[in-house]
Amino acid sequence: MRPAVRHNLKRKFAQTLDLPPSVVLDQAVIHILGDGEVQIVNHKGLVQYTAACVKARAVQGMIEVSGSELEIASFSAQQMKIRGRIRQVMLK
Amino acid sequence: MTALLWLWWQGYVTVRLRGVGIERVLNGAAQAGVALFQVQRLTADVVLARIPARDFRRLRLLLRQAANGPRIHVTILDRHGFPFLLRQFSRRAFLAVGLGLSALALFYLANFVWFIEVVGADAMTVELIKAVVEETGLRSGVLRSSLDARRIEQRLLERLPHLAWAHVKNQGVRVEIQVMERESAELDAQGAGHVYAKRDGLITELLVLQGTPQVREGDTVRQDDLLISGMYYDRQGRRQFGAARGVVKARVWYQAVGEASLVRWEPQKTGRSHRQYRLTVGPFSIPLGRSYPRDNHLVSTKNWQLYLGQAMAPVSWTRINYEEVLWEAVPVPMTEAERTAYELAWESLLNQGVERDNVLEERRTVEYLTDAHGIRVTVQVEVLEDIGQFLGQ
Repeated sequence: MRPAVRHNLKRKFAQTLDLPPSVVLDQAVIHILGDGEVQIVNHKGLVQYTAACVKARAVQGMIEVSGSELEIASFSAQQMKIRGRIRQVMLK
Repeated sequence: MTALLWLWWQGYVTVRLRGVGIERVLNGAAQAGVALFQVQRLTADVVLARIPARDFRRLRLLLRQAANGPRIHVTILDRHGFPFLLRQFSRRAFLAVGLGLSALALFYLANFVWFIEVVGADAMTVELIKAVVEETGLRSGVLRSSLDARRIEQRLLERLPHLAWAHVKNQGVRVEIQVMERESAELDAQGAGHVYAKRDGLITELLVLQGTPQVREGDTVRQDDLLISGMYYDRQGRRQFGAARGVVKARVWYQAVGEASLVRWEPQKTGRSHRQYRLTVGPFSIPLGRSYPRDNHLVSTKNWQLYLGQAMAPVSWTRINYEEVLWEAVPVPMTEAERTAYELAWESLLNQGVERDNVLEERRTVEYLTDAHGIRVTVQVEVLEDIGQFLGQ
């Protein structure tokens, strides 16, 4: 079965049974708290980390958090919490 | 916050990762179950991170196993948390015991009242309030739990009628007593009564606002003589009894005596000095070293008080210096002794209520006390003042 078809099927399954898509589709969840904190749950690994930019891989693509004085407050296989002066959160 | 507390409890290390492609290591560590905290990028090839102390070996093993790619070096910069603290203290057992005892002593001493402050009263009433409060058992060093604020407030209002309101506020080791004094007009609510003389004097001016005058200008009156009666006749000719009011100015005489010695004893230091220390914890004072008699030693003290932030802890350290002296008699010039005695006499006059501006005439008599090597100055003053005093019936 092609990946696009499998993805569509999973989405419909989640919608029908009212299940959270983040669980069924393995998608990343991004919480933004003001301009000081971003939490990414279900990431697929850190790609780049500098004080101005943090890039993380996700099922949807690349999540890019940019700003200044960025610090990874906590980092584990499932989630990461980024603190600092957040200016932009992009999904590429 | 909870995660950081848990991390502190478990013990954690600050590690420095140096090399190119540190992100790869961070991903590997996370996949291996090593949680990282406060990851900071310092330079292009240096990252600081905090990891649980027990995971450090796993991280190092990961770095060794990662053969492909550039090499990453890891160094422990610092160790934090309870296990490391415990290890430190195990090497310095007495410090740990001392800290524990200090903490216990602080907890114990915090159960007592150490400071009592009165707010809203003038200086004289403050002493009075403290004395009344002491009768209820509230004094420095009593248990906080034994305080009954309501009872103290009631006692204060019963014993001190000039207080309109009292509130006892318990603020940890400090008790604040807030009071409000009554206005004086409130106290002597003007009922019916007469005006009496509060001193002997010669009346020079009489102004009656209400009542019937019982004396005239030029009369000599004694203390407690009736000056203005509250009995009077109103416009309809009816006899009334009300509050007598008026101004009765009279020449009044005051006398005071001041004495001064013609010999002054001055201390001459012998050069020998001693030192004593004193540790004070609440009401307890522990002297370290012997003390010396004060009659032949000059005593100077220096005190160090322990502060916990803004609050003053009931612990202080005092250094007492004793300097041995011999007392030598030095003659005092006659003029200086006379001036001192005169000032003492005037101080006594001021305490009697004499105001310098109201003095009409002043007489001074000087006597020499041959047996006591001193001088006595008697000052008599004549002042003009209102001697009327209203007494209600």
